[in-house]
Amino acid sequence: MTTRAEFLHRIRTEMGRAPGLVPSATAPRPTRPRERLEVLRRELSERWRESLERFAVEFERVGGVLHRVGDAEEVPGVVARIAGERRARSVIAWPGATLGVDVTASLVERGLDALAMPEAEVTPAERARLRAVAAAADVGVTGVDLAVAETGTLIVVSGAGRSRSASLLPSCHVAVFDREALLESLEQVGVALEAWHDGDDPTWRGAAINFITGPSRTADIELTLTRGVHGPREVHAVFVERGLDVRRRV
Amino acid sequence: MSEPDLATPFRERAGQALDDRFLQEALTIATTKFITLRREAFDAFPQGEALRDQARAIKEATLQRLDHWLEMLIDNVERRGGHVHYATGADEARRIVLDIARRTGARMAVKSKSMATEEIHLNDALEAAGVTPVETDLGEYIIQLAHERPSHIIAPAIHKTKGQVAELFRRELNRDAAPDPEVLTQIARAELRQKFLQADLGITGANFGVAETGTVVLVTNEGNGRMVTSLPRVHVAVMGVEKVIPSMTDLAVFLAILARSATGQKLSVYTSLVNGPRRGGELEGPEEFHLVLLDNGRIRQIAGPLREALSCLRCGACLNVCPVYRQIGGHAYGYTYPGPIGILLTAMLNGPGSVKDLAHASSLCGACVDACPVRIDIPRMLIELRRELDEQRIAPWPERVVFGAFAWLLQRPALYRLSARLGRLLQRPLARNGRIRRLPLFFGSWTRTRDLPPIAARTFHERWAELEREARR
Repeated sequence: MTTRAEFLHRIRTEMGRAPGLVPSATAPRPTRPRERLEVLRRELSERWRESLERFAVEFERVGGVLHRVGDAEEVPGVVARIAGERRARSVIAWPGATLGVDVTASLVERGLDALAMPEAEVTPAERARLRAVAAAADVGVTGVDLAVAETGTLIVVSGAGRSRSASLLPSCHVAVFDREALLESLEQVGVALEAWHDGDDPTWRGAAINFITGPSRTADIELTLTRGVHGPREVHAVFVERGLDVRRRV
Repeated sequence: MSEPDLATPFRERAGQALDDRFLQEALTIATTKFITLRREAFDAFPQGEALRDQARAIKEATLQRLDHWLEMLIDNVERRGGHVHYATGADEARRIVLDIARRTGARMAVKSKSMATEEIHLNDALEAAGVTPVETDLGEYIIQLAHERPSHIIAPAIHKTKGQVAELFRRELNRDAAPDPEVLTQIARAELRQKFLQADLGITGANFGVAETGTVVLVTNEGNGRMVTSLPRVHVAVMGVEKVIPSMTDLAVFLAILARSATGQKLSVYTSLVNGPRRGGELEGPEEFHLVLLDNGRIRQIAGPLREALSCLRCGACLNVCPVYRQIGGHAYGYTYPGPIGILLTAMLNGPGSVKDLAHASSLCGACVDACPVRIDIPRMLIELRRELDEQRIAPWPERVVFGAFAWLLQRPALYRLSARLGRLLQRPLARNGRIRRLPLFFGSWTRTRDLPPIAARTFHERWAELEREARR
């Protein structure tokens, strides 16, 4: 078996033999990414309406459906309507602390079979059970950490109370966000990613960051665009104008 | 199935592709569509050109300190609880994955589309070891059921009709289905959903490895990349060493051009950043994460003639624009990586001898350089390969004799002028309407598909001499 030392030694030997290198540079990184992100967010908060309009256009272009509500209390109603239109019964959702609004209680009241995914560590048996629940669910409700106007992308960070399955296994994904999540460009996403990885990872954060740009799609059979091959067939985003009460923002 | 086509010579493989009318139509439709989508995407993205230059600079800068960035990647993956393995050749890479499968008692492995695992022929090895490999990208799934190989880097099953896919599903899955892409896709969804939930092992490649954070980045449209990295107990990512990039800022640059080059999308549907195994409080994610760093001929090219090819993002843009690929498709190339970049990657993995015919399967028109998101000068390296093949006497002897004689002649001006005059005499019976349409003997195979311009009535040398005489007068 090749060891790390042998592997790297061979790379160094070849690097020493490489002739005539051209001057090159990696992309300039922000020196204090967290501060840079703060400044950026302040700037963006003044023009969030423009960002939202751009996001709306791009999100719909990739096949997403945008809903706008005034208050967080209206979110369960939107979810219930989406579920009802699809004759869907079962809903899984992030808990109130990470979503910024509790949707499950209200959905259960409306006669839906809704479950909030847990926030604390659970046993392997319970994880397996919840996975089966998620796999059988029709609708998954999650929060959004960043909404990127340039590309219509939702960025979702996994972690405690931030189930990955909720945005992946049900055939309908409903993502809830507010103006705090809006960014304009991929370049700004780069700043956010630098800031998130600056220093030690927070204990609540999970191992995956997922960019979601519309519903799952393929064109592998005769280049015919088909939705929902593995991931959700539908992606809805609910914008809450007066904001969500998220306990921890990334 | 590993390289079954290589028994027939390239010329024959290409000939078969040219005679396949369905393949011809499918290739034209697919490549034309990809070209249009890519062009529209970049037309609407004026900063794209500058980002392409920047992306190339990042790749070059990373290569210049490859040891540094790889060490950082390794340290950060391990810091986050992942394991890193080092594979010099394809056999070692296979052995590493098989060991992990054996140790974890895996019976089934779900795979997200990965050229690196195709390259090391992992599926055959898994199967032989009693682990069922399941390709989950729809195109890859189709060709796995059909026991074929991918014909395009990003659209592996473009050579199949919906009718053929329906027939395949009926035969292999016992499912009666209309030849409708929507219906067929839903059948595949249901079949593969069960596999995702049952599999013990998830195997992926890596589009990027971010050194500063220890992150493996996967780009898919279907969501299978997310399934494979979230549901099975163990995740193994096989990554060529050249896929490392320094930072998240660099990643943002590459993401802005990758999907645009491949499919014309601004971003693919799913970009997944994987930072190792499941963490406390998380419901999903593997208990074990393994990163296999793959050399397989790459490291030798850091100082080799194919160094530039180490910048390749595997987007497939050069395939779509290549006049040769557009005619013969991916299978005729005979190896894992087709198209212009595929010739270079094949030479990298299997040595220059493996491409003695393929090195000539290019008109050197340069369309690939224009389409490449990082502007890899593929024709330059193809010429370099042809020279190397000649020097190492791998090229066929008539080719070497003819070019050798030509080179000898070019170095002797008097003899060259004499032969030009002689040629003018000899060509008289052959030239018609200012064209030589047929050459005698074995030279005839050259003129079978092209015309040769005759030697001019007065050569440039002669006209130049005349001009000089006039000027002196």
